[in-house]
Amino acid sequence: MTAPAIVVEGLGKVFQSPAGLRELLRGRLFGRPVEALADVSFTVPQGEIVCMMGPNGAGKSTLVRILGGLLLPSAGRAEVGGIDAGAGTSEFRRRVAFVVGDERSFHYRVSGRGNLHYFAALHGLPAATARRRTGELLERVGLAEAADRRYREYSRGMRQRLAIARGLLGDPKVLLLDEPTLGLDPKGARDLRAFLRDEIIRGVGRTAIVCSNDPAEARAMSDRVLFLEAGRLRGESAPDRIEAELGL
Amino acid sequence: MSAPPVARLPWFLRVLVAFIRRELAALGGYRTAFIIRIFGFGLAAASLLFLSRFVGAAINPHLAVYRGNYLGFVVIGFLATEFQQVGVSGLAQRIRFAQMMGTLEAEVATPAPPWMVLGAPPVYEFAASSVRSAAYLLGAKLLLGLDLSRVNLVSLAISVPLIIAAFSGLGLLAAATTMLVRRMNPVAMVIGSLSFFLSGVMYPVTVLPAWLREVGRLLPLTHALAVLRGALLVGAGPGELRDSLLALLIFAGVLAPIGAGLFAFALRRARVDGSLSHY
Repeated sequence: MTAPAIVVEGLGKVFQSPAGLRELLRGRLFGRPVEALADVSFTVPQGEIVCMMGPNGAGKSTLVRILGGLLLPSAGRAEVGGIDAGAGTSEFRRRVAFVVGDERSFHYRVSGRGNLHYFAALHGLPAATARRRTGELLERVGLAEAADRRYREYSRGMRQRLAIARGLLGDPKVLLLDEPTLGLDPKGARDLRAFLRDEIIRGVGRTAIVCSNDPAEARAMSDRVLFLEAGRLRGESAPDRIEAELGL
Repeated sequence: MSAPPVARLPWFLRVLVAFIRRELAALGGYRTAFIIRIFGFGLAAASLLFLSRFVGAAINPHLAVYRGNYLGFVVIGFLATEFQQVGVSGLAQRIRFAQMMGTLEAEVATPAPPWMVLGAPPVYEFAASSVRSAAYLLGAKLLLGLDLSRVNLVSLAISVPLIIAAFSGLGLLAAATTMLVRRMNPVAMVIGSLSFFLSGVMYPVTVLPAWLREVGRLLPLTHALAVLRGALLVGAGPGELRDSLLALLIFAGVLAPIGAGLFAFALRRARVDGSLSHY
């Protein structure tokens, strides 16, 4: 039996914002703590696509940021590919890619290709390999013709595709997608979901967690749905039984 | 099967080259800003020329050690100040911008270690600033008749790395506090203003009262200016510049590790409070 791709045990996260003037006057260094996640546990077998559903503020983004090693948990543990997510090692970040919806973390004045070249260098790829790999990925996400246009000229859908290409630079085993179709028109969202599911994830046996609050997205992309509410895991369901089992 | 480890130095050089290529590609979109900057520099250079004629016309005992070369004195003053500005503010500004744009999170999410992600911008900035400074000095020599006939290259080669290390230490401190408080902090501005006042950018520190001169000795720029002017204008050797070189060595030895430690703490803190991206 193969080990699960993702193991989450008793995960909790409490945010403590710096104190405002009122708290400082009361002798406190921090504002009121906010519990974003509490006692979240689940596993994801290799090759499975799990949709993490829940309303805004449920803790979905916090959860995937912890799984991506970008945020440290307050309690519990998260392992991805057998490595502790909190360790933040290069090897961990080679195995996991984090793709955010509402993507704006590229240089606006540089072309899509130029942006990818920079991230390829951060992945440690030598120049010739980086050129070949970015060319392949731009082709694969349908941006080959627009590769040399500046990022600021890209539509929202194109930006999402470029972010996906960036996520694939290191050929990760696990993809963490935070609202990947956010803000796309219905057709654009439908096409992107099918592309992600068939070509990027299932087609190459990757494991993925997709955060969404859209039941259509969960049905279209996932094998299993976990429902998160107020930082706690409330239940799980098959994608075609979301309404019946989760009352959505 | 996991990928083989990548050797760190070639990896960093790749990141540096890719960063510079990206910066140069982006600069193509800032042509107007570049022309305005050149125009501004031309005006500043002309002002310095007339100021130096005005000051140099008088017999000034404070400038005797520089052979009355006020033009050289003040040009080096401004170039060193810009160098300090690059070190102290450059990394902090980039980090704040990257936090707000979300690029910091995307970069830290890659396999590159954080020092590599954050090390490329200051290396590029210092290199660019060094090239700019050399070009400005050459321009001042050719166009304004700046006398650089006594340059001591050995002193220059020893002092520049020490100056960069000292300013980088200050820069790491400023960047760490920027990350911790999540806004541009006044550290850089305070250091800049104090240095301009006490380090002898526009006037020799000998015009200051003795107690202010002592306060000025606590600032790295004071010693940076002393060694640069000594090396470039008077041809002073390392032995003559020993005190200021030693002060720079102490600044670098103390500030750089403290800055790096605080910065590592700030980065970990950002992973605790979720401020790697902070819109």
